[in-house]
Amino acid sequence: MILLKLISWQYVRKHLVRSLLTLTGIVLGVAVFVGMHAANQSVLYAFRQTVNRIAGTTQLQVSAGEPGFDESVLDRVQAVPGVRVAAPAIEAVVNTGLPGQGNLLILGVDMVGDRSLRDYSFEQSDDDVIDDPLIFLAQPDSIIVTASFASRNKLSINAKLPLNTMQGARIFTVRGIMKPGGMASAYGGNLAVMDIYNAEKVFGRGRRFDRIDIGVKENVRVEDVQRRIEAALGPGFQVEQPSARGQQFEAMSRIYSVSANITSAFALFIGMFIIYNTFQIAVTQRRSEIGILRALGAGRGQIRTLFLAESAVTGLIGSILGIGAGMLIARGLTGFISGYLGEMYGVAAKVDEVTTDPLLLGSALALGILASMIAALIPAINAAGVDPVKALQKGAHQLLSEKGNRKRQIAALLAAIASIIPGVPPVASDALAVAAALLLAPTLVQWLSHALRPLLRAVRPVEGTLAADSLIQSPRRTSGTVAALMLSLALVVSLGGMARASFISIKHWLDVSLNPDLFVTTSPSLTSHSFLFPGSIGEGLRDIPGIAEVQAVRSTRVSVRGVPVMLISGPVASLRKWARSRNQDHLVAGDDEEAFADTAAGRGVIISENFASLRGFKLGESVDIPSPAGLLRMKILGITRDYSDQQGTILIDRSVWMRNWNDNRVNVYRIYLQPGANEDEVRTAILQKFGNEQRMFVLRNKDVRDYVLRLTNQWFGITYVQIAVAVLVAILGIVNALTVSISDRRRELGVLQAVGGLRSQIRHTIWLEAVSIGVIGLVLGLALGAVQLWYSLDISRRDISGLRLAYDYPTNLILLLLPVILLAAWISAIGPAESAIRGSLIEALEYE
Amino acid sequence: MNRIAAAAALATAVFAATAVPPQGPREIVQTSQDRTRSKSEHYEGELQVIDSKGHTTSKRWIYDRIGAFGDSKAVLRFTAPAEVKGVALLIVNHPDRASDQWMWRPAIERDTRIALQDRRTRFFGTGFSFEDLEERDVDQYDYKIVGAENMDGALCWKIEAAPKLAKSSQYTNTYLWFRQDNYVLAELQGWSKDRMMRSIHYTDIAQVQGIWTSRRLEVWDTERKSRTILTLEKLQFNLPLRPQDFTVEALRRIG
Repeated sequence: MILLKLISWQYVRKHLVRSLLTLTGIVLGVAVFVGMHAANQSVLYAFRQTVNRIAGTTQLQVSAGEPGFDESVLDRVQAVPGVRVAAPAIEAVVNTGLPGQGNLLILGVDMVGDRSLRDYSFEQSDDDVIDDPLIFLAQPDSIIVTASFASRNKLSINAKLPLNTMQGARIFTVRGIMKPGGMASAYGGNLAVMDIYNAEKVFGRGRRFDRIDIGVKENVRVEDVQRRIEAALGPGFQVEQPSARGQQFEAMSRIYSVSANITSAFALFIGMFIIYNTFQIAVTQRRSEIGILRALGAGRGQIRTLFLAESAVTGLIGSILGIGAGMLIARGLTGFISGYLGEMYGVAAKVDEVTTDPLLLGSALALGILASMIAALIPAINAAGVDPVKALQKGAHQLLSEKGNRKRQIAALLAAIASIIPGVPPVASDALAVAAALLLAPTLVQWLSHALRPLLRAVRPVEGTLAADSLIQSPRRTSGTVAALMLSLALVVSLGGMARASFISIKHWLDVSLNPDLFVTTSPSLTSHSFLFPGSIGEGLRDIPGIAEVQAVRSTRVSVRGVPVMLISGPVASLRKWARSRNQDHLVAGDDEEAFADTAAGRGVIISENFASLRGFKLGESVDIPSPAGLLRMKILGITRDYSDQQGTILIDRSVWMRNWNDNRVNVYRIYLQPGANEDEVRTAILQKFGNEQRMFVLRNKDVRDYVLRLTNQWFGITYVQIAVAVLVAILGIVNALTVSISDRRRELGVLQAVGGLRSQIRHTIWLEAVSIGVIGLVLGLALGAVQLWYSLDISRRDISGLRLAYDYPTNLILLLLPVILLAAWISAIGPAESAIRGSLIEALEYE
Repeated sequence: MNRIAAAAALATAVFAATAVPPQGPREIVQTSQDRTRSKSEHYEGELQVIDSKGHTTSKRWIYDRIGAFGDSKAVLRFTAPAEVKGVALLIVNHPDRASDQWMWRPAIERDTRIALQDRRTRFFGTGFSFEDLEERDVDQYDYKIVGAENMDGALCWKIEAAPKLAKSSQYTNTYLWFRQDNYVLAELQGWSKDRMMRSIHYTDIAQVQGIWTSRRLEVWDTERKSRTILTLEKLQFNLPLRPQDFTVEALRRIG
């Protein structure tokens, strides 16, 4: 502690800016870690809260995936011994017509039997004052809202509330207000309750429930009742406790979680590198000090402990600041994540506040301290190994020993070879490739510095030579900074390449697969499943002049091996005919003609490539699909490239769907026009025929493409955050290195001024040094990025999304990055350069 | 002669006063049900619900019943106010098990079944529960006489009825007061263990077409502290009602 106070603190005070910059490395890494995980946890927590508050005292839930099931299932469940109460439910998220209020989660329940499961806690009194329960049931416009929602929108009993329904915009009447707390706080208070049979009509559900909530009799085991219900209903149904829905949500958000882990790991790794670099420079600069301490009797252990203690304190302060910054990041991210998951999966999770999990915060603190100490370990060992006699000699320390260089080169070669051995997991190969690049960095930096020397000399003979010599003569400092920049830029290239590859692949898929002229949907977004068309509309559409073909498509989520997968049913023969006429890609596996013909005949399914990859399915195997009619075992007849859904898709013929689900409702009608038909006229005709009595949107092909690309953009919004992090780290590294460089060369720069060097010349020397670091970092970073991109695509395909994306080096991004990094390098040099020329000349000459 | 007649009259009076039932408690209940037996029943009802704060809501309905007590069918159709007009309830009573009940809602053209588990729920905000609308077959309970009490100026048998094991009920036991003069039910109290849940008081007792019956029921809900008053108007028995009007299809058709 005394040494920390007497020696370390003095050093920090003397080099405050550099110390702060070093600290920022840890702050950034911890902030990204905390921000992304806290945001994910908050959304998961909000979802679980909504599920639990709505579930009330529910002990079991029966469901059959997104399509729901016929009402008759309720009688079967109620007849199972041990069931005390079985209450049906429907959930839908709708947009209110109120400005600034966003979505409302509507819970449709049978008010007669639901009271024993859920506490509605009505206002006014303990009495069930829905004003008049019979009027509530008799009038289909009846709705109950929460006190918080009512208060925000100045609603009282009998007030009117506009909602968008299957019949278009409708006005509802508030006939009950729930007190705060309990169920009323689910979904951030944006919860409303309707009679379930009214809700069926409002949301076009026909006679189907989403689920049945069950209470078990006293003295009866929940597990026993669960088994009995499963036996009574068969394998097409899931019978679970409410908490299982949280696990499904986690499965859906797994891709985001993995991405968050990768990003935060990388940010932390770069932060560690900055710490390593800074401590390495500090050890070099404080060699004399270390030598004196050793000469006075300090042991190697004490020296090592001193540096580790410094790094621990740095880590502690950086972690605390990083946690604070992370919570701010999380606040911004939660809205994005919950919005994205809601749009993609129809998940109701409204986040009011960021949850602060003590375990996460503790982990972040420990991680920051540990990362800092690990990063400083090698410099600390080096410091402990300093010879007291040699320490007092100047100049030798900046050089890298030839022996050390040789060792690093051999290690780099071995790591590079290991990374390409077949059978090594891609994540390990990637790590080995990065390790090889880091080990080789000092050698490459030397080569490139020498290569740049003639160019710099040609640009500015004096300043350029001085700048190049500074780089060459301080390989430790330069290579550390360049390595940090190289890693950051490699991350940018790899993420940018992934984003570009995704865009290209998805755009190509849109061109060949999403080829109807018009889409008739129930919402502006194709992913909304709250509203469905009755199947009868298809006939009416076919009668409209100008329409050549109408395809009724139903997409819904079903659980396959515990993960919600998109099941798409449609007229496969027609889908195939029109796809072929508009040049669709061939199947990735399976014979095109046979696969589609057999699927149309109901003899099997066609699955998406990412579904096959993620779940381990192959051509010819069978897949079990739960349905209300039982477990459907279908042969995989073909595998196609389909980017519809991150969890994967299964295509079945509509006849199979109707036979097993007995549900003729439709998500979207795909429409092909006759040659020469006017698109606008057909759209108008459709809306005139159905628009007044039905909630309906008629989208052009272009509208759908734009929407899909916008959704993809939204997903990669996270990528752009990651890119900004990488650029920031690059800037930090360069500023850090230049600051050290200036202080190391203070005497040299003082001598230059004393013999007539102009301030502008000093300034330009430092600028050129900074820009050179930027150039070297760019060259190495772009090269490493090319390798990283390959590994990232492979890891993504195998472990994350299952999607096969084309390798496409993000040239446009690089062309943008070049001036940004060089500009950042130059900006980083401004402060240190001014500091170099404005200091006292006499002090500089005396500097030792 | 006068002394003998007087003694006989005295003996008769004493005999009547001690109210020794001609049969046991089950028979009293059976007799009460037998005396109200009719092939059909019809009335127009006015229902008033007064909540704990004194706020009153009113509704009207038409009630029709066909069949013997405990094995009958009934349809109850709301006629006022306008918001609830057409809402109907079909009750099919069975002698050996709980009744089947369906509700019809004209606004969404849906009939829905009232599940057995839901019978303890209040009937649309009134003091009655769905179970209270069922007819209780005499063999679904065990009875015992627990005393005699005066109710509205009439001497009544107080009988405790406990549902048999096969009978699903929200009440652990029910107390019934039957008037000794005409076997009309004067009061009913439904208890759950040691807590009285509700009481139904029968008044305006009159003879309609030779059948003694109550034309005013007042329900007191002890939990919610609300009163419900049902007044029967235009009460008639043995009308020619059609069985086909007491089906779910009829609810839809007439609704």
